[in-house]
Amino acid sequence: MTTETTSTRRLRVHRFKRGDDAPHVEEFDVPMGEDATVLEALRWIQLHGDPSLGLRHSCFHASCGTCGVRVNGRERLACVTKIADFSGTITVDPIANLPVLLDVVVDMATFFAHYPDPHPIVRESGFLPEAAVADDLDGHERYEDCIECGLCLSACPVAATDDSYVGPAALAYAQRLLEEPRDGVDRNALLDWADQDAGAWRCHAAFECTEACPSDVRPAQRIMSLRKELRHRRSEQGREVPEQAAGEEAT
Amino acid sequence: MVATAPERSTRSRSWRWTAFTGVSLLALVTIHMVAHHFVVDEIGGLRTYQHVLDYISTPIIFVIEGVFLMVVTVHAMLGLRSVLFDFGLSERWRRRLELGLVALGIVTVVYGFILIGVLASRA
Amino acid sequence: MSETRAPFDRERDAGVEEILRGRRQPAPVSRKLPGPIAWFDLRSRNTGHLAFSLNRVTGLGLVAYLYLHLAVLSQLLGGEDAWNDFLEVATTPLFLGLDVLLVFGLLAHGLNGTRVALVGSGFVPNRQKALFWSLMAFGAIVLVYSALHIFGGEA
Repeated sequence: MTTETTSTRRLRVHRFKRGDDAPHVEEFDVPMGEDATVLEALRWIQLHGDPSLGLRHSCFHASCGTCGVRVNGRERLACVTKIADFSGTITVDPIANLPVLLDVVVDMATFFAHYPDPHPIVRESGFLPEAAVADDLDGHERYEDCIECGLCLSACPVAATDDSYVGPAALAYAQRLLEEPRDGVDRNALLDWADQDAGAWRCHAAFECTEACPSDVRPAQRIMSLRKELRHRRSEQGREVPEQAAGEEAT
Repeated sequence: MVATAPERSTRSRSWRWTAFTGVSLLALVTIHMVAHHFVVDEIGGLRTYQHVLDYISTPIIFVIEGVFLMVVTVHAMLGLRSVLFDFGLSERWRRRLELGLVALGIVTVVYGFILIGVLASRA
Repeated sequence: MSETRAPFDRERDAGVEEILRGRRQPAPVSRKLPGPIAWFDLRSRNTGHLAFSLNRVTGLGLVAYLYLHLAVLSQLLGGEDAWNDFLEVATTPLFLGLDVLLVFGLLAHGLNGTRVALVGSGFVPNRQKALFWSLMAFGAIVLVYSALHIFGGEA
């Protein structure tokens, strides 16, 4: 039986409740073992410190994407971020560029509102040769790598000032649909959706989304692939899409 | 979970022209900087008054500097547009901004051509 | 028998009203820093954000320089004396240093812009960090050579 070393760590946690004039920060001294995660520390605060601390989490193993926060300014999944990886006081803030509902809980409705419609979450993979279904199975269901945690949107410098930008997750999702076409995907409609000022052309190649992504989705690379698709479509069709207004691109 | 339908126009033209003018400027800026800092045997390579007149009155140089002026102005206006659009402006303000930048760009190019034209005529 | 609860009573339900008022408030958006300052905050950020910030700073600086340059060149319209007066100032170490700063801005913006153009067109997006640093290394060599020449006064 091993004895885990316990040390006391200080967490500075963003606090906010709807109706407050402004958010504030509260500090908690949390006794944690050396393998403890940020999520465990926050749950300790809920249980022993302040039961009103608002917190969102589910799976505890980086597959649901609900526990995204900023730890010392960097986007992380709290469930797999170890306290021991940080020295000194640890700050925990909600992910950026989304409305804050409560403490470190953000309103993900805004995040999902940017996705193209339709937005199938789960699609059958029976059309791929390598996905031949075994005799005793009805079929396969393939899940996306993207866990829709919102860390990419939080890290994006464009989303920091422009809430109309659809964001890396939505664009990466659109590119995945193009890459693995399934029934029900209208390629042209999807490319039309991406081919807008607030879409693929708003990205400035900072690649922070890829750095922040915990699931190796590589959204920045996918946005660049999406641009390539848009250019191919343009050259195939051999046309300029008509500009909307006279003020567009006169320079 | 319904995204708004995209406007039918494309904004890729801005990006493509920014990239095209940017690549062109790699050559044009190099020519301009070498000509004005690395050719003349003066402090900093800076040209005297007569050096400038002799330089700009050469027809091929006039054309190159004129093209440089236009390309750099287009690139600058597109870049400003891109930065200012990142503030999440409304459609109305975007149109006003575009018109303003077009006007600024035209004034810049016209003034620049007047400037080099007058200087070339003095040689 | 359960008591039938009366409709909303302002005195009795004051706490409820406060809660409802709170829920009707628009939720403030979480930001790392206000407005465009976030573009230049490199804390906890990576190479790509450095490149983005550098491109933005140098781009805005070069736009300002464009108009400054046109204003300076307008001195030429004042004739040889006016231009010579300017050259006296422009050949001081401070101004030569500003020339080197200009070269830095042009190299940083131009070379990083090359990265953005290549990567943004779908070429080598997985090598964008290496591309950035190698272009910056090349730029640093050119900058040193330029600075030596500008201050040294020889081609």
